Amino acid sequence: MVQLTLPQNSKVQKGKTWPKPQGATNLREFRIYRYSPEEKTNPRWDTYWVDMDRAGTMILDVLFYIKNNIDPTLAFRRSCREGVCGSCAMNIAGRNTIACTKGFDDLPGGVITISPLPNQPVVRDLIPDLTNFYAQHAYVQPFLKTDSPTPEKEWRQSEEDRTQLDGLYECILCASCSTSCPSYWWNGDKYLGPAALLQAYRWLIDSRDEATGERLDALEDPFKLYRCHTIMNCAQVCPKGLNPAKAIAKIKHMMVERIS
Amino acid sequence: MADSQFVTPTKVTRGLGASKTGTSHHIRQRVSALALIVLVPWFLFSIMKAALTGYDAALAWVASPLNAILLVLTAGAAFYHMRLGMQVVIEDYIEKPGTRAALLILNTFFTAVLFVAVVMSVLRIWTGS
Repeated sequence: MVQLTLPQNSKVQKGKTWPKPQGATNLREFRIYRYSPEEKTNPRWDTYWVDMDRAGTMILDVLFYIKNNIDPTLAFRRSCREGVCGSCAMNIAGRNTIACTKGFDDLPGGVITISPLPNQPVVRDLIPDLTNFYAQHAYVQPFLKTDSPTPEKEWRQSEEDRTQLDGLYECILCASCSTSCPSYWWNGDKYLGPAALLQAYRWLIDSRDEATGERLDALEDPFKLYRCHTIMNCAQVCPKGLNPAKAIAKIKHMMVERIS
Repeated sequence: MADSQFVTPTKVTRGLGASKTGTSHHIRQRVSALALIVLVPWFLFSIMKAALTGYDAALAWVASPLNAILLVLTAGAAFYHMRLGMQVVIEDYIEKPGTRAALLILNTFFTAVLFVAVVMSVLRIWTGS
């Protein structure tokens, strides 16, 4: 039976409450998931008070504020800090997104919780282990596959064909969508997940790619593709505003088209 | 997820390979759903109307050829759709291979029995035996 509760050693316990910054007037409470493999203890929620007047404008700024001023041991991934690299994806106030583009204005009221992306092994604090996710991306072979002789200059494509890739190529592989999908939670080892399937579709409809049938073959499976039950969490959370569910529906459409 | 720390994520992802099935299941589920969009409203409306007319009139309603055919079609589409849907639910939530296989087989048997029971009931009323 699928596991509906967290295993004993993953249950999150109450953690430390860190002191409030001195002289701050605009304080906000953040509860952040902390886990360290060396400590051999359960993960915990640590409470931090952040001076919002000094913390910048985005959630990533809050994390830097905490790391620089309160607790240097807090671990999180980040790189570009402008919504391009996808490194800082995490669950903020119950919703997967990337911390660098999540502004204070978008936050709900009350205490803000920040935890790693759901249902992935945690390396430390807010850092999930995404090796399975990357293997799924590799499975769809996200590169141009051709057999025709390579043109001297470049593989050409009409402007109209190029527009087919809009809404697909923008994916930054942050994993917010896949890790928000209940079907991926239950069968993440067999279901490729919305991110990988969005990329699969991006190559399926590329007018230059010659491996369409081969790509469909690799996807046609009750688990690899058809575990999508159009729950739509993927489209809800995508920080780039993409719609993986729609791409998956189009893959299913192509599957039907080739047998009918 | 992989049982052993030495199994690579690529090995897990590739698994036993794509089975090249699933599309016909997808089509069958959609087509049976389409049939049910028409049949279920007819069934609910008619059965409630027939139920209000008394026992004999309700029997006569079932015995009319058109109603009998539509009743069997409704049961066929509904139980077939149910079998396909329950299959997906079992595959989603039951991980243990033996339990999963047993439930999938039971699912088929259970819906088949329900369908046959409806057909026999309708036939019995239709033929008046």
